[in-house]
Amino acid sequence: MSTAVEQNSSFKNYFSGLFNGISTTLKGMWITFRYVWAVKPVSIEYPEVREVLPERARMRLFNDSQNCISCTQCAMACPVDCIYIASEKLPEGAEIKKTSNGQAIRLKLTQFTIDTALCCYCGLCTTVCPTECLTHSHDYEFSQYTIDAMKYDYLAPDVKAWRDRIVKA
Amino acid sequence: MQSRWDIGEPEKPTINKDTEQLKSELLTLNMGPQHPATHGVLRIEIWTDSEIVAHAIPHLGYLHRCMEKHAENLDYRGVIPFVDRLDYLAAMNMEWTYVAAVEKMLGTEVPRRGELIRIMTAELQRIASHLMAFGTYALDLGAFSPFLYAFEEREKILRLFEEVSGARLLYNYIWIGGVWNDWTDEQLARVSAFCDTMEEEAKKYNELVSMNKIFVQRTANVGVFTLQDCFDYGATGPVLRGSGMKWDLRKNAPYSLYSEFDFDVPVGEAELGQVGDCWNRYYVRMKEVIQSIKIIRQVLEKLEPGSVMGKVPKVIKLPKGEVYMRHECPRGELGIHLVSEGDSKQPYRLKVKSPCFTHTSMLPRIAPGQMIADFVASVGSIDIVLGEVDR
Repeated sequence: MSTAVEQNSSFKNYFSGLFNGISTTLKGMWITFRYVWAVKPVSIEYPEVREVLPERARMRLFNDSQNCISCTQCAMACPVDCIYIASEKLPEGAEIKKTSNGQAIRLKLTQFTIDTALCCYCGLCTTVCPTECLTHSHDYEFSQYTIDAMKYDYLAPDVKAWRDRIVKA
Repeated sequence: MQSRWDIGEPEKPTINKDTEQLKSELLTLNMGPQHPATHGVLRIEIWTDSEIVAHAIPHLGYLHRCMEKHAENLDYRGVIPFVDRLDYLAAMNMEWTYVAAVEKMLGTEVPRRGELIRIMTAELQRIASHLMAFGTYALDLGAFSPFLYAFEEREKILRLFEEVSGARLLYNYIWIGGVWNDWTDEQLARVSAFCDTMEEEAKKYNELVSMNKIFVQRTANVGVFTLQDCFDYGATGPVLRGSGMKWDLRKNAPYSLYSEFDFDVPVGEAELGQVGDCWNRYYVRMKEVIQSIKIIRQVLEKLEPGSVMGKVPKVIKLPKGEVYMRHECPRGELGIHLVSEGDSKQPYRLKVKSPCFTHTSMLPRIAPGQMIADFVASVGSIDIVLGEVDR
């Protein structure tokens, strides 16, 4: 510390330090000033202008319940256990439907709920899904007033209505 | 004044000789947990003698998520999202360290393209992390615009990561056996273009901040860690290199394919100030950005089409044993100690050795005798991320 003070106290160093201070500050100011005209703005005005999300963007999960075979692989892969699945056996003699990629649906799905507030958007559940019915949608604006409203029941009619919006059949 | 950890009487401030005679009472001041200069939620209890810090005690645990215990109840793939959240500014490096530990026990062969892509993403992440360190450090010291310039470049990296993995910060991209998705030629061309602009930008940053007289006055000769201090506390990464030790795991104990690459290990050379001060630690990071660009360019030359994912069993069960894997992350050496009981889908124990934790413990070493404003500069210069400290 003392050596630094001694260096600064010499007459020559005082003026060279002064010159150095002014010149480097002006240099920095010039770089900032160039942004007035030479650089285009990079920010976007969010609610009016929206960025197009990349294909793989992982936003809110969506389950296309018509293609779900209740295999519970997604629930087992989930590291935070936010997927709740319940299913029951089909009644005898019932018609066995098929998913879009040809797998037979042998169980009747009675509950498929995802707690979006708990979800960590890691994407592990979508990679294990054999019928690819569980996908990440591009919907990222879903704030709610209560934490219970973050639980999405994918068998509810209003959530099913998303299918036409999200799943391109 | 009783502290939770009894670490003895605080050292008397040495700068101001007048205060010793005054016998003034020390004032306890809380810096944080919501202090903008602490990069997260770190509370530092400072005992001050007027403007001079007599003693500083970091209090941890505000971001504790019990990640190590959580990992014991998750399958090996499910741990990756949690490892991401250790150091959320350098998630790729965190993932890679954990995944490399699992792969070492599993004996998985990663395809060459997958390994090269891992190196590229890790180096891109290092640039993004150092940009963040640069921006927030300038912000701590009162300069706002460098922060915005740094984010402009960082945004390009995050956009690339978002396209390739699907998330901007917590990627879950590096998987056991390889990487999730392959990069397209168009994306690789953008990486190449980014390298060119980044080199220009780095020059601009140096002109704007590094050589600025005000910045140099605030950082040079402030918060000096001698090499002996670094050895005593076990510092790694830019903190150790800023103190003049040429130690980089990528060079000294090469993992992955790093031995094939040609790059330098920048150390603090005291262009301004003295070795081990805030300015040199900061400048090591700026020099590392250039070296990372050099590595990325070499990766782009070496990349050949091929598979990015090796053969991995559907259910991962590790043999009985343990492994310790350490990688050079932007903030220092991250160590993952993984213990497996054998014939189990879950790790028996996962211990994380965090570089930021070590560096936080060094704060009481440099605090005595500093001005409060200089202490802020010191906290900023070691570039800690509290997610990694608390885990």
